[in-house]
Amino acid sequence: MRNLTQAIADWITAGGREMGEIRIEPTANGFVLRHREDAPAGEATFTGPEAARDLAHFDDAGNFRALKSAPNLRHGWRLTLTSLAELRRALDYFYPAMTGVWLSHQQGSLGFVPLRTTLARQTGMYAVTKKISDAQAQTMIGQFCRSDGGCLKRILWPVSAGLPVTSLPAEKFESAAPAQELPLLCAEACNLLVAKARQVVKQSAEPA
Amino acid sequence: MFAKPHSALIIVGHGSTVNADSSTPTYDHAAEITRRGIFGEVYCAFWKEEPSLRQVLHMVDADDIYVVPNFISEGYFTRTVIPRELELTGPVSQRDGRTIKYCEPVGNHPRMTELLVRRAAEIAPGVPPQKTSLLIVGHGTDLNDNSAVAAKREVERIAERGLYAEVLNAYMEEEPLISQWDEAATQPNVVVVPFFIADGLHSYEDIPVLLGIATESTGAASATQKEIFRRNPYRLRGRTLYYASAIGTEPLFADVILDQVTAFDATHANAALA
Repeated sequence: MRNLTQAIADWITAGGREMGEIRIEPTANGFVLRHREDAPAGEATFTGPEAARDLAHFDDAGNFRALKSAPNLRHGWRLTLTSLAELRRALDYFYPAMTGVWLSHQQGSLGFVPLRTTLARQTGMYAVTKKISDAQAQTMIGQFCRSDGGCLKRILWPVSAGLPVTSLPAEKFESAAPAQELPLLCAEACNLLVAKARQVVKQSAEPA
Repeated sequence: MFAKPHSALIIVGHGSTVNADSSTPTYDHAAEITRRGIFGEVYCAFWKEEPSLRQVLHMVDADDIYVVPNFISEGYFTRTVIPRELELTGPVSQRDGRTIKYCEPVGNHPRMTELLVRRAAEIAPGVPPQKTSLLIVGHGTDLNDNSAVAAKREVERIAERGLYAEVLNAYMEEEPLISQWDEAATQPNVVVVPFFIADGLHSYEDIPVLLGIATESTGAASATQKEIFRRNPYRLRGRTLYYASAIGTEPLFADVILDQVTAFDATHANAALA
């Protein structure tokens, strides 16, 4: 049995303060979280980890955030948490599974899955995604996963064995982060990218 | 109540990339089970949202893990997608020193009948069941899905109780159509309960439009969409109509999730003894 809460505690002790767009401040009574772009004054105050679920659910314009690691976390709030257990739960609402994936990576137990492997196992409406060409996949990843406007995760997977993703800057594939930052690691293409691949294949199949 | 402080529970929902309310019941049931302190850890995972089925096991500390699908029936998702994405080998999977126990979907549990009856009674307080037609609405045309079979089974079970004058199945996209509710139902009171896991486009808009209690939407926010459940009763086509939210929003679903864990243990303890 592992202990993710303790791993988060150790990271905080070692100076860990940022995760995605979140800034984490240890206080005498626990932790205060806010958007890292917000100045620490005048925000609406929320309490407890369950509030994080609502804060992460909609962007500044009130739109549903289907991808929690998209760089569109809403602004203007502060969340107070009273324990490490609460911090762990809140971080799981803001960036689902990302602390756990990070710990697995630290422990050397995080594998990665090439895009082709992910697409090959799809069934039903997504079975068609196998037909995407390497060039189409590169273009799609370059647009969909880009950190500015797409997704903040760092990509650990290639298109296929021996074929890395070349449509994004090299730092997008760097798993190591500065000590104060807990990296968001992408070990496998998400369902949103698979759905996008379906769209790409369907569109290219349409007669011009 | 049992206690499993050294086990984790993962509740699996479908989720959605467009409907912000799709994951809400699954999270609500998880919050209720967390509050009761039965499991050491409780998580949600989704097919279309994060945490995904591929990610969720990284969240878990415990080595003993129960997985309960928050699905209305067995079918494509419970038999193909969830086992494949979690890399399960059967009801009990051993991997990396962990034991993963794959339970039946909530909709399969016999208590679903009780929940449907309860929901029907709640939305039509004081209305005599012997003068009421109860309609259970399912989707209907889902490929590889047994949701229609499950809905038929529930209708039969409720009818056996002899409480309501009649209990009928209806579907959005196949016969008997929910749009013809007034032809199917013979009673002055009609209670309609959607047999769905979450509220969304089907329960907010599609079914209300088919019933005739709403017009095609203008894309209003979900807060106003919920109004459709607060305007009961509706008087139209010579009847008094009561419309409920999706059965999966019923708080007692948390108990059914726990019941499926108990049922899993009972089945597999018996198997071990046999």
